[in-house]
Amino acid sequence: MSATFLPSLPFQLSFPLLFGVLLVAGMLGGEIARALRIPRMIGYAVVGFVFGPIAGAMGLGSLIDEARIFVDLALGLVLFDLGRRMDLKWMRRDWSLLATGLAESLLTFIAVFVTLEALDFRPVLAGLAAAIAMTTSPAVVLLIVHDTHSEGQVTERALNLCALNGLLASVIVTIMLGSAHYESRMSLETAVLHPLYLFAGSLFLGASMAWSARVIARAIERDREVHFSLLAGLVVAAVGLATLLKLPVILALLSFGLFARNDERGYALLNVSLAPIGRLLYIVLFVITGASLPAGALAAGFWGGLALIAARAAGKLAGVMIVAPLGGLRLQQAAGLGLALLPMSSLSLLLQHDIARLYPAFGAALSAIFLSAIIVMEVAGPLAVQFGLKLAGETIPEGEETMTGAGPRAA
Amino acid sequence: MPLEFARSELLTFGVELELMVLNTRDYDLARGAADILPRLAKMKLPGEVKPEITESMIEINSSVSRRYDDLLRELRTVRDAIVETAERLNLAVAGGGSHPFHKWHERRIYPTERFRRVSSLYGYLAKQFTVFGQHVHVGVTNGDDAVYLTHRLAEYIPHFIALSASSPYFQGEETSFETSRLHAVSAFPLSGHMPMVQTWAEFNGYFDDMKAYGIVESMKDFYWDIRPKPEYGTIEVRIFDTPLTVERAAQLAAYVQTLAAHLLRERRSEPILPMYRVYGYNRFQACRFGFEATVIDPYTREQRRLADDLLATLERIAPDAEAMGSREAMSGIARATREGANGSAWLRAQYGETHSLNDMVRLQAELWGG
Repeated sequence: MSATFLPSLPFQLSFPLLFGVLLVAGMLGGEIARALRIPRMIGYAVVGFVFGPIAGAMGLGSLIDEARIFVDLALGLVLFDLGRRMDLKWMRRDWSLLATGLAESLLTFIAVFVTLEALDFRPVLAGLAAAIAMTTSPAVVLLIVHDTHSEGQVTERALNLCALNGLLASVIVTIMLGSAHYESRMSLETAVLHPLYLFAGSLFLGASMAWSARVIARAIERDREVHFSLLAGLVVAAVGLATLLKLPVILALLSFGLFARNDERGYALLNVSLAPIGRLLYIVLFVITGASLPAGALAAGFWGGLALIAARAAGKLAGVMIVAPLGGLRLQQAAGLGLALLPMSSLSLLLQHDIARLYPAFGAALSAIFLSAIIVMEVAGPLAVQFGLKLAGETIPEGEETMTGAGPRAA
Repeated sequence: MPLEFARSELLTFGVELELMVLNTRDYDLARGAADILPRLAKMKLPGEVKPEITESMIEINSSVSRRYDDLLRELRTVRDAIVETAERLNLAVAGGGSHPFHKWHERRIYPTERFRRVSSLYGYLAKQFTVFGQHVHVGVTNGDDAVYLTHRLAEYIPHFIALSASSPYFQGEETSFETSRLHAVSAFPLSGHMPMVQTWAEFNGYFDDMKAYGIVESMKDFYWDIRPKPEYGTIEVRIFDTPLTVERAAQLAAYVQTLAAHLLRERRSEPILPMYRVYGYNRFQACRFGFEATVIDPYTREQRRLADDLLATLERIAPDAEAMGSREAMSGIARATREGANGSAWLRAQYGETHSLNDMVRLQAELWGG
């Protein structure tokens, strides 16, 4: 006798169950971290570290592949918000902002490149890795800004620089992929056309999503809830389209946000906050990032990882500390800004992952160094941002902390 | 020890203007005073720009002027410097009596000793007091004249309210009032009007009593609509919402100056008691209905439309306007009165057009920029 109404074994882990479990477990980890007075996302990531091996033992494989859709959605949202925070008009009005961004990106690239060359990596690989190292994790910065109610010049500048270095890194990685292709003896067309497609395609996708958003917005009521549904829907759709068209989600969503914000004439779109769905996706993003970091990598690439972190931090801090004061930032503010740019997390992980998949020669050795750097920064990064914003005097004073709202304050 | 009334040049005048500091993303109030002020301090500007109680406010203190033209020119210069500095920090600055949708609990107290003390005394009132006003100072030569003008100008409080009103929205709501800012002021224990003392000596007696009770320490603790300011040798009218433009701010200052000139020339002698009997009612009417309010003349017991009363007053003081060089300002005020044009009307029109308080504040900041 077999009861067909009963579930059959073995159980299949479904996406809703996975999402739900990650969310609740992550939330609990975050609250424990809060009780220990450290940033919530360290708790999320630690839950992930613990969860990863368990998932592996259950035969779930690499979580980042299984749950790639959540990661893409979460990062899509983060980058859209970041793009909306990036203010091109401001960069035109205050040259020191753009200069700070270029300086810290450039110095970081050089420092990491030189370090990896010294560790005997080939120039193409060292270059790709150095470009990835330029990025600051926008999710960490946005979430800490939200949780500490941080507000002011350093906060705004950190978010703009974060968008800028993310943009620069994606462009450089895209271009360097071309030469990597060439090196691996693919045809010249592929070497030129592929990066071109990735770059132009992402910009075009971002621009057309922003254009659609505006056209629809003009036809509907100017109401926050209606616009919230519109934007949330379009962000999710844009992630789907980017995946469909084999375009980088990062660049596509960043440009969607940028075009949505820097709309000079229309102001058709309300600047609504996507925070209510943001928090959910952020938690899952950090847990999955944690889970996909193999603990073994920490040992394998430990010293190289530390060298990478040191070179990267030196580049970022030097770039900011040298240029930012020229724009009138006090020394404490400049130091705070430099520290706020240190986190390195899911964005680097995703770039590294994408490259490793497209171009296997990225190699196990470099991956190990990268992963172990990311593991360390998963804890050190949030602490650096929190300390930096506090140093700049922009977090809410002690004793006034409350948890209002439901996610990163984006709009 | 009696309060010394400093002597200042008769009928010179100046203004204080509290301004909002905004982000350019959603035009909510932003922390920015501590970044704007040091940059402004490096420029050569007339008067002074100072911090106010929360980090989302800055305050312009003009220098002392004799004529309307001079004041207007100075205010434009200072405004341009502030707007340009704010732009470089990706901040915006605007006039208006209150921010239409900020959440008061998010405000942070500017880190000075006095502001911290005020904050701990008044609790949430201090943060809720994130409202933006214009103060007009007019110079007088002695304390008795200051007391006389403080009483006599009180009769024109409804005019001042209607002309400056620019806070119809508060905490995200249409309040139906022309100014919602004045409710925030009323919550303080020493708000309202000066008691009915007749001379500077009597005022000193009152002040000594209040000090002996331990209720006040200095003149700063009185939040009256109009008060004498003995340190400066002025009377200070504090009822105005910060208007949306420096032009209106200068016109308002000129109106007070011209009224003061008129009152000092005419030396009115009616008893003040009836005037204070209708004071609260007239003040409420003006806050609620602006130019269309019904105000009561305490002496004839006649009910009049505020706009008519204002236009009649302008006619009466026309000779004084000529003498003070404020004719142009007075005709601007007459035009606004006939058209019902104040900040609240403008803001309501923008909201009607955009259906978004964020966009309304953006346009408000653009208007302030000139």
